[in-house]
Amino acid sequence: MPPKKLSDELVHREHMARFPQRWSTGPVMGKFLQALRDEKRILANVCPRCGRSQVPPREVCAVCRVAATQFEEVGPAGTLRSFDVVYYASPDPVTGQSREVPYATGYVELDGSKGGATFWHELNETDLTRLRRGLRVRAVFEEDGKRSGAITDIKHFEIIEGDA
Amino acid sequence: MPADSDAFVVEGTFALPYNYFAGRVGSTWLVALRDERKIYGVRHPKTGKVYVPPRQVDERDFTDLTGDWVEVGPEGRVTGFTIVRYREPYHPLPAPFGLALIQLDGADTSLTHVIRGEHLDRLAVGVRVRAVFARERKASILDISHFEPA
Repeated sequence: MPPKKLSDELVHREHMARFPQRWSTGPVMGKFLQALRDEKRILANVCPRCGRSQVPPREVCAVCRVAATQFEEVGPAGTLRSFDVVYYASPDPVTGQSREVPYATGYVELDGSKGGATFWHELNETDLTRLRRGLRVRAVFEEDGKRSGAITDIKHFEIIEGDA
Repeated sequence: MPADSDAFVVEGTFALPYNYFAGRVGSTWLVALRDERKIYGVRHPKTGKVYVPPRQVDERDFTDLTGDWVEVGPEGRVTGFTIVRYREPYHPLPAPFGLALIQLDGADTSLTHVIRGEHLDRLAVGVRVRAVFARERKASILDISHFEPA
């Protein structure tokens, strides 16, 4: 019999679509990620014209648009230049799950980088009231054998205690 | 100086969570597929047109359409189709399969559904097809497993 009224049962579906991806790093990002994985070093590249650092490195200087082929190690410590507190997390592209909030991310001017370049990563500090510009922080690497050549080979940045 | 040999391939995943709510009208329709193995449409009170799948309001004059449900199908006529030739984990069937617009008997609109690979040689505009219901039904569009030549 055709329905006389609308259903009281409401239909709802939760679904997780997972698509496998393959991504080529290219030579410049490949060099950067391999240095993270194999040597726990953070590489910037330097513009031959203006001298500014780019971290992560890219093929050309974003300002001068000339090839930037010189690499230098920066960090692992640096100065927090700005930060964000995240209250609404986007889904993790690997798991599709949203992580616990709030958490903080920051832009870190790594020691040795030039021209004010900052590097974005997560901050592990859970006491968000401690965060302020100018804080000294350092990269914490994933353990040996667990690094895969990904930006997550740096787990997060932590506050360097006692270092104003 | 980076070399081409510095490049490598990263294997990853792109996961997309989604949450679909069928709404009250859609729920009514899907529950009937599950419990009655029947396909219903809604009839416009003024024009008499029957919409399948049903909708709350008419897209032109916003008349509420949910007061007059009518049974349609389970047979109908293909009004358009395409053939999917690549495999993808979220396809309802292994490729190749057909995606067809099917105007069910008694309906004025077409419903999109799937045609199995073994019937593709008979798939054409105007062909008569019949809904095959899934044995296990969960109030989903795939409670109709597929359409086969009638």
